[in-house]
Amino acid sequence: MDHLLPVEILEAGHAFPQALAACGDLDALLRLKGAYVGREGSHAARLMELLKGAPKEQKRDLGAAINALKQQWEEGLKARQAELEAAKKNLNALASSWDPSLPPPVPARGALHPLNRLMDRLVEVFRPLGFHVEEGPEIETEAHNFDGLNIPEDHPAKASSDTFYLAAHPELLLRTHTSPVQVRTLLRVAPSLERHGGIRFLAPGRVYRKDEIDPTHSPMFHQVEGMLVGHDIGMQHLKGTLEYALRALFGPHTEIRLRPSYFPFVEPGCEVDVSCPLCDAKGCRVCKGSGWVEILGAGLLHPNVLRYAGIDPEEWSGWAFGMGVERMAMMLSQTPDLRLFFENDQRFLKAMGGLD
Amino acid sequence: MWIERKALAAEIPAAAALDTRQLCELLAALGFPVDGVASREGTEVVDVDITANRGDAMSHRGMAREVAAKLQQPLAPVAPPSVHEGAPRVPVRLESPACPLYATALLSLGKGTTPLEAQAFLRALESSPKCLPAVDASNELLHRYGHPTHAFDADRIQGAVSVRWAKAGETLVTLDGVTRSLAAQDLVIADEAGPIALAGVMGGEGTKVTETTRRVLLESAWFDPKTVRATARRHNLHTDASHRFGRGADPGMAVVARDLLVDRLQTWAGATLEGAWTAGSLPAPDASVLLPEAMFMRVAGEPLTLAEASGILRRLGCEVTVKAGALIVQPPTWRHDLTIPDDLAEEVLRLRGYEHIPSVLPALEGPPRPLAAGYLQRQALARRLAHLGFHQTVTYGFISPEADAAFAAQDNAPEGRTLANPLGQEYSVMRGTLLSSLRATAEQNLRQGAREVRLFEVAPTYTSGPEGPTERYTLGLAWGGTLGGEDYLSPARPVREADLVGMALDLGLTSRPEVRSLGEGLFGFELPVSDLPQAGARIIPTFRPFSRFPAVERDLSLLVDLGQSHEALAAAMRAAVPGDTLQDLRCVDVFRHKSLPEGRQAWLMRLRFQADRTLVGGEVDEWMASALAAAESLGAKLRA
Repeated sequence: MDHLLPVEILEAGHAFPQALAACGDLDALLRLKGAYVGREGSHAARLMELLKGAPKEQKRDLGAAINALKQQWEEGLKARQAELEAAKKNLNALASSWDPSLPPPVPARGALHPLNRLMDRLVEVFRPLGFHVEEGPEIETEAHNFDGLNIPEDHPAKASSDTFYLAAHPELLLRTHTSPVQVRTLLRVAPSLERHGGIRFLAPGRVYRKDEIDPTHSPMFHQVEGMLVGHDIGMQHLKGTLEYALRALFGPHTEIRLRPSYFPFVEPGCEVDVSCPLCDAKGCRVCKGSGWVEILGAGLLHPNVLRYAGIDPEEWSGWAFGMGVERMAMMLSQTPDLRLFFENDQRFLKAMGGLD
Repeated sequence: MWIERKALAAEIPAAAALDTRQLCELLAALGFPVDGVASREGTEVVDVDITANRGDAMSHRGMAREVAAKLQQPLAPVAPPSVHEGAPRVPVRLESPACPLYATALLSLGKGTTPLEAQAFLRALESSPKCLPAVDASNELLHRYGHPTHAFDADRIQGAVSVRWAKAGETLVTLDGVTRSLAAQDLVIADEAGPIALAGVMGGEGTKVTETTRRVLLESAWFDPKTVRATARRHNLHTDASHRFGRGADPGMAVVARDLLVDRLQTWAGATLEGAWTAGSLPAPDASVLLPEAMFMRVAGEPLTLAEASGILRRLGCEVTVKAGALIVQPPTWRHDLTIPDDLAEEVLRLRGYEHIPSVLPALEGPPRPLAAGYLQRQALARRLAHLGFHQTVTYGFISPEADAAFAAQDNAPEGRTLANPLGQEYSVMRGTLLSSLRATAEQNLRQGAREVRLFEVAPTYTSGPEGPTERYTLGLAWGGTLGGEDYLSPARPVREADLVGMALDLGLTSRPEVRSLGEGLFGFELPVSDLPQAGARIIPTFRPFSRFPAVERDLSLLVDLGQSHEALAAAMRAAVPGDTLQDLRCVDVFRHKSLPEGRQAWLMRLRFQADRTLVGGEVDEWMASALAAAESLGAKLRA
């Protein structure tokens, strides 16, 4: 019977389900309703006019076809209307009955790892003083890890009981400190040192020592190395820089204390304490009542370290420091067990690392 | 090292006036932090931390020298009754330059034992007295004066004594009962039957002093530090003696310690001296060191006078000659660590106190350098992921071979990345993948009751190569569990592979990552950080105009085969629309149901048109028809 209907009406009929599905709200549905079954100018109205003017013998069939079409449209519109009304009602219900005491949707929130966050912070602290970041590989040569740092050939740290070595490459090891980055960087910049007016950088990174895993030991941990090379650099510059940086880190009232110590790659060498940031140096469990906590080791570069890189120690001098990141993180957070930092429980990370 | 307060005060009387806290602070300021304080044998002992360069400080006398120099107070004299030397009773031959000096004495023991006072002293230092005067006196002298000595049972020594390199195949049973196979680099004390002691390390079992010993032959020598260190390491035999000889003992003490030991044996055990003699001579003194004034001022950071410096160095036992603009310094025989001017500058600053060092910010001598792009990229990536709800993990760089094999590339042979001396098999391979570590961490979090885990790590992974492993920074991401359902507006659903693909594309990856199933509803991917875009050099890119005319959105519900590629369909439909008016095209809903023809599914495609003019309905209809035709050419059908 469809052959009795005009082509445009048939096309409209085909398009109907699409158009119906595309109606996202009641307004759109009303417009669609007007176009298909409205009193005037709609497809249905045109069909009724067609029926009026049809020859008598066709009226019965045509009427049936028109009715089927109209019925399909009206049912479709009615069902879609019910759907949209229900959706709107539900939305209205939620909107009108909004209970502000109900927990709202909260965007997901992750966290940086506390160790990375602390290292980032250290970089930020030193940045205004002109320090940039240098990095080096974790798998290092003996030369960079030991020899270039004035560590004697028979030093116990070289033993396989202290340092991890690679089976297929006996000359390669897992760096035991971030200090080989000093050696690499000095070797690289030595020819252009004068042009650049020396160098100053931090080297944050992961290091490895052959320690069994327990609450205070880990075979992998993090260090931040700092180094400065310039003209006429002395202990006063080490002290000045660390005083600035540690105050920026722990607060303006922080005091620092240098104590003599020994590391093969520096001379003079020192340990640096800060006034306990947890008790304002009044004495607490963390500082064991002393008011001071040890924070890093440092010193003026040993002339052999400069010489190894081809830098004349008569002309250039500098200082370096090395800081244990876990140690500082544990101290600041009073985390009782180092292993928590490598367990990566999301609750720990969220609480300790957080976001910037 | 334990220091007993009274014994310290015996060497430096002024120390008696310090209370424990003052003493600890004084020692710390000198570079000898105190690790602990204890009360033993009715006396107070402090545990002093001594750095490896200061073998000279490893005794009460050594500590006293430091305290005396700091307090500018005199040391008590070391004055053993002088022992008259005579002809050797047993020939002593020094056959190696590693032992230039060997003082000895032969004594017959009488009656008597170690005095209670000396026993208490040893016990206070956690060293147990043997009640054999020759052994205890040697031990007591070591703690008091730092010079190791040894007493042999003279009647068990055969013939002449020599200090020589061990011969291949020789063995020695040391005092700890262990049979040592000796190497040609081991310096030994030997009699005519063979080695009787590892020089500077430990005596031999066969010649040790016992209750039945009647006569003792003493040894108070000086051994080359490097030789002693090597032997101690080779035999894994670290003793009080090897610690001191290995760090450099005081050659000037060899004869003095012998005399002190003779005196104690005479007093404690009624011994009779049968003879005392010395082989060899003092080794050449360490070279003198020139300390230029300018260098010294640079290190100190303030104008200190050479007069002040020379005063301090003299207090430390140095001989100092003042020249114009420099000091010539001869370190004392016990200070082998003073070899360059920097060492001397440190000594002056140390004795003055590091608290007097001024505090100065170093001026910039050149422009600061920028932060490296790679570093900034990693930092930005981590921050972005954290803001997207992911937790940054830090896991060990070494994993088990099995964990590595689960995800590392097939051609990345683990042998090239394996440690020679790992902590254990589970930490033996430098990882070629982050996914195993992330999987373990994710599982652990799920076990701990996490509903959803979102983890990432940015760390190096290692690839085996002929020159050794190469490292590259890798991003690994693991995501799994239940998404949403935590509030009344967000429905719960499981995390799907698609979520990870979307995340990777959003991070700027230009192709789809390989999402791996990690089991337990966990998925992960990893990729080199260098695959992700770095921030461009331009702070703000060139402006590209965008349309301000209204957009037209149309939906098309298509029946497509179940195997239909969305990418292919979308590409065909896009190509069918001229110009760039079709700004977006995507499948926004998928319907699969048994009511649909078999092998077919319904995709609701949403098309968004926009141009630099208002679009008319007719042209959009035309484009829609073209897009539909393109889809139909791939077998799609408009859904009725």
